Amino acid sequence: MGLAGAKNKRRLGNDPNNNRWMRNTESFGQKMLRSQGWEPGQYLGAKDAAHAENYGAASASHIQVTLKDDTLGLGAKRNNGDECTGLFDFQHLLGRLNGKSEEALESELKKREDLMMNSYLERRLGTIRFVRGGWLVGDVLKKEPQEGADKGEVNGAQKSSEESTEESAETEASEPSDLPSKKRKADEDTEKDDEKARKKEKKSKKRKTESDVETDSAGSKEKKDKKSKKRKVDSAESDTEPAKSEKSSKREKQKSESPEEEVDTSAEDAKRAKKEKKKERKEKKEKKEKKDKKDKKKKDKPVSESGSEAGASSSKEKKRKKEESVTPAVESDASTPTASGYSTPVTTNTRYLARSRFIAQKKMAFADSAALNQIFMIKS
Amino acid sequence: MCLPNKKLRQPCGRYRQGKASANSEITTIPSVLCRISHPISALTPLTFGMADQKGTKRSSVESDAQDSKRIKTDDKPNPYLAHLNMDGANDFKSPLDEMERHNTTALQAAKAEDSDINPWTGKPHSENYFKILKTRRDLPVSKQREEFLELYHKTQILVFVGETGSGKTTQIPQYVLYDEMPHQTGKLIACTQPRRVAAMSVAQRVANELDVELGQEVGYSIRFENRTGPKTLLKYMTDGQLLREAMHDPNMNRYSCIILDEAHERTLATDILMALLKEIAHRRSDLKIIVMSATLDAQKFQSYFSLRKEDPPAPLLAVPGRTHPVEIFYTPEPERDYVEAAVRTVLQIHAIEPEGDILLFLTGEEEIEDACRRISLEVDDMVRESDAGPLAIYPLYGTLPPHQQQKIFDKAPEPFRKGGRPGRKCIVATNIAETSLTIDGIVYVVDPGFSKQKIYNPRSRVESLLVSPISKASAQQRAGRAGRTRPGKCFRLYTEKAFKKELIEQTYPEILRSNLSNTILELKKLGVEDLVHFDFMDPPAPETMMRALEELNYLACLDDDGGLTKLGSLASEFPLDPALAVMLISSPEFYCSNEILSITSLLSVPQIWIRPNNNRKRADEMKAQFAHPDGDHLTLLNAYHAYKGAEQNGEDVKKWCHEHFLSFRHLSSADNVRAQLKRIMETHEIELVSTPFNNKDYYTNIRRALLAGFFMQVAMRESSNSKIYKTVKDDQMVMIHPSTVVSSPYDWVVYNEFVLTTKQYIRTVTNVRPEWLLEIAPVYYDVDTFEKGEIKSALVRLTEKVKRRQAMKGGY
Repeated sequence: MGLAGAKNKRRLGNDPNNNRWMRNTESFGQKMLRSQGWEPGQYLGAKDAAHAENYGAASASHIQVTLKDDTLGLGAKRNNGDECTGLFDFQHLLGRLNGKSEEALESELKKREDLMMNSYLERRLGTIRFVRGGWLVGDVLKKEPQEGADKGEVNGAQKSSEESTEESAETEASEPSDLPSKKRKADEDTEKDDEKARKKEKKSKKRKTESDVETDSAGSKEKKDKKSKKRKVDSAESDTEPAKSEKSSKREKQKSESPEEEVDTSAEDAKRAKKEKKKERKEKKEKKEKKDKKDKKKKDKPVSESGSEAGASSSKEKKRKKEESVTPAVESDASTPTASGYSTPVTTNTRYLARSRFIAQKKMAFADSAALNQIFMIKS
Repeated sequence: MCLPNKKLRQPCGRYRQGKASANSEITTIPSVLCRISHPISALTPLTFGMADQKGTKRSSVESDAQDSKRIKTDDKPNPYLAHLNMDGANDFKSPLDEMERHNTTALQAAKAEDSDINPWTGKPHSENYFKILKTRRDLPVSKQREEFLELYHKTQILVFVGETGSGKTTQIPQYVLYDEMPHQTGKLIACTQPRRVAAMSVAQRVANELDVELGQEVGYSIRFENRTGPKTLLKYMTDGQLLREAMHDPNMNRYSCIILDEAHERTLATDILMALLKEIAHRRSDLKIIVMSATLDAQKFQSYFSLRKEDPPAPLLAVPGRTHPVEIFYTPEPERDYVEAAVRTVLQIHAIEPEGDILLFLTGEEEIEDACRRISLEVDDMVRESDAGPLAIYPLYGTLPPHQQQKIFDKAPEPFRKGGRPGRKCIVATNIAETSLTIDGIVYVVDPGFSKQKIYNPRSRVESLLVSPISKASAQQRAGRAGRTRPGKCFRLYTEKAFKKELIEQTYPEILRSNLSNTILELKKLGVEDLVHFDFMDPPAPETMMRALEELNYLACLDDDGGLTKLGSLASEFPLDPALAVMLISSPEFYCSNEILSITSLLSVPQIWIRPNNNRKRADEMKAQFAHPDGDHLTLLNAYHAYKGAEQNGEDVKKWCHEHFLSFRHLSSADNVRAQLKRIMETHEIELVSTPFNNKDYYTNIRRALLAGFFMQVAMRESSNSKIYKTVKDDQMVMIHPSTVVSSPYDWVVYNEFVLTTKQYIRTVTNVRPEWLLEIAPVYYDVDTFEKGEIKSALVRLTEKVKRRQAMKGGY
């Protein structure tokens, strides 16, 4: 933590591990053990025991403990001041210098950017929620998605992390002033995407495009949160679809911001598109296999690993349905964007958020003379 | 103080030579704590009618006074006892008659169970019995009864794996009962449990299932309570209790079958029992052993229980549990603050997920209370500002009073209005909710991946209770808690990578984490000579064993050749740490055995002081009322005396305790422990004496007596006015725990425990004079054995001073 951090001084004795005692071969304990045939370095326990291979390090020497006096989560590292901040923009370059593969770099970049966007939105704007409106299959609206569609799978990647109760995609759509050029481009993309989607849907009614998936998740969340009547949604699908595609296009745009990548990116995109198509075809063929794979990808581990295979398929089916309703927080995939290195974005408490909005409103009112007049009941 | 020089020896030395009068009985008198009812004499009322069939049972009817009073031992029915015989009981043909011991089938057993007459009591079955029987037959384990019996007949040691909810704890002992026919052999069936509560509740349950009275055919035996009788056939007991019994019955001759339940928990006593039973199995081929465990490390048990190296692993029988799938979620990135993340996750679940209760695992009392507060604040907000359902939050940790612990079983709150969002409960618990307690209705588990573990370091002799990552096995166990009633979800607040890389496979068994001096003493008492090659499942570190041996030697429980001394043998009769036991045994020499007995009991229960967060100041003031400036031990004693005084004055003790910020529960359990220990002392003719209270040496004597057991736990101040002390011989830097009441600590203090929490602390300290050390423990404080340093030079100076003083005295 550097100079600003809390001081954590500890005085250690000359021999904190008491090696002196350990080395003392004259101690009663050591004499006793030796007299019974123990040699330093040996385990205790029966001679040639069949289970000896199970002995662990704790049988050889005492268990070492570390003092943990913070609430750092498992696997998190404290910033000891040796981590540079502000290297955000150079990560790509540094990564390349470190010999990381382009693909890895891409995904990292995506992560970072998504996180920045998410945290920005969360800070800046509230959440907009949607009501589930069913599934458009062909020309018919259906209540339940068709079986086999991999809903709630892909969206993990787009979801924000832990705390993101907000739906980034939708909020983006409602963002008026932010990056207008992108929006334009996004709209184009949207159309393209829509077209594609339609075509594909015609081809196979079962298949869901990514955008559908997004809608679904939004909807599912919506359903649970009846409260949000902020926005009338005529058709959740049509509304979110552009949003989604906009987002992806934005990402593309952002990627292409650095000129040296441009070529790579497009190539990359093309490749990815191809891959996706291939995947989709495969998907159609072997839905089940795919499911398993995705499951693995998603890192859901059914707890009963030893569970019977027979019951597996049915339980999986059930589980999939569950997934729809999963909290975005926890559902988020490993690729969920984060930059701070933590999945809980640093945001002000929602309570503060409401308060700050209130203050902002007040400020605005003060700036507005007409409003002031109204407040003080001055007739101008 | 001015005892003649000869008496100034180490008090324990007296026992080394042996005090014939007191000690001759030691070996023969079983301790009160582990006294067991006589072997069953197999005379249930039923046996009247079937007395002619088996000759064996007659032989087992010995001159059991209590028994013969109640039940007639003749073949002819006693007319005066006619009321004992149910109608037609005389002509009753027991369903067990056709069954041959160790050759029964599930079918036969089922028939016996279905019969109208209870084969164990001879009374007709109640209606309730058949109701329970029906649910019992639905248990997963019941489907494999035949398979179990076949394996059971074939082998001596059987490893049985049943997931939670399979019904193994209640059913398997009963299956054994119907096969073992203990009323014929006079040998009991024992089933051990790691926890006292479990032993009690399971015994009650099984008594109901068998339609017998608890304490009769089915009983239990735990450390301070024995509810078994002459008729007992099936006995639930804590593993420690069985171990104590083994000291007086090294071949476990009382038992025909021993079932070790929850072996996967690997408590210290279970580990020792397993090794012992493995040995006994060689000697007693008629003893059957069943080791029951959860799935995780069954193979380990199997390979351990192959009796000889060339033998195949012990046979295994697995029964699936009744669990639902649990979906696991990881966070994509590590969490900065796991408490914060846990609180948020709980709130999020409450806001978004469908109905179902939440279980959150945290590490300690403070953290739990803090999290509860935060969650309830946020939920209040949530409820106020949105349509969220009610959320009841219950903390759960070991030191919580039982009535509050019971609350976790309350139903989740009703929705605020009809048809509104469902209410749910959220339990914030330490890892006692991981194994010990099953709470139904849990669907969501939040697991930050930490727990507090007690770990003993034999080198510095410090016991640490630190937050550390859990093991993979324990993470799975936690997740499994979500799938008890329906498919659930487990939210792990760490990445999958962290799960794979940072977590160890298995939680360390207790034997690797504890101070073994008590265990070694028990093993010695059990007659184990070769400790090095004792067949542990997980052998402890050699250092730990060395330290234990060394401590026992200094305490004079072991002689210099490693043999058990009289004192050691006596000390092992007490269910206490050797240091405490030795202190208690030698206390009459200091004329304060009553007081030391009280202090010992107070030290063997949890902290009696209550210091609620919102009322710390008041609590400290109250504690100050009892404070003795010279020591926390003495303060404890004062509080206890005040408590007893209040009790005698006929005050409402509970209220009194509450007013004085004392734990009524722990004080009364200390009272109970005291009574038990007192009985043991009386059995072994240890005098109970007191110095008169107005004698100026009253407290001095107590302080000196403390040293008789705790002379190895002494620390010396590093330099005057310094807050830092150094432990004697081990040279560890320590500080006195802030909870102390000692206002002006001396340069030398004796302490009860050395713990590592945020710093290295010594807790419960009392001032002592260094001269006493030389008097009371001359062997340990032999200056020549000390390393050069402050402590040694202080001791050298002291020795000279003492010599001078004696010379002066001699001069007069």
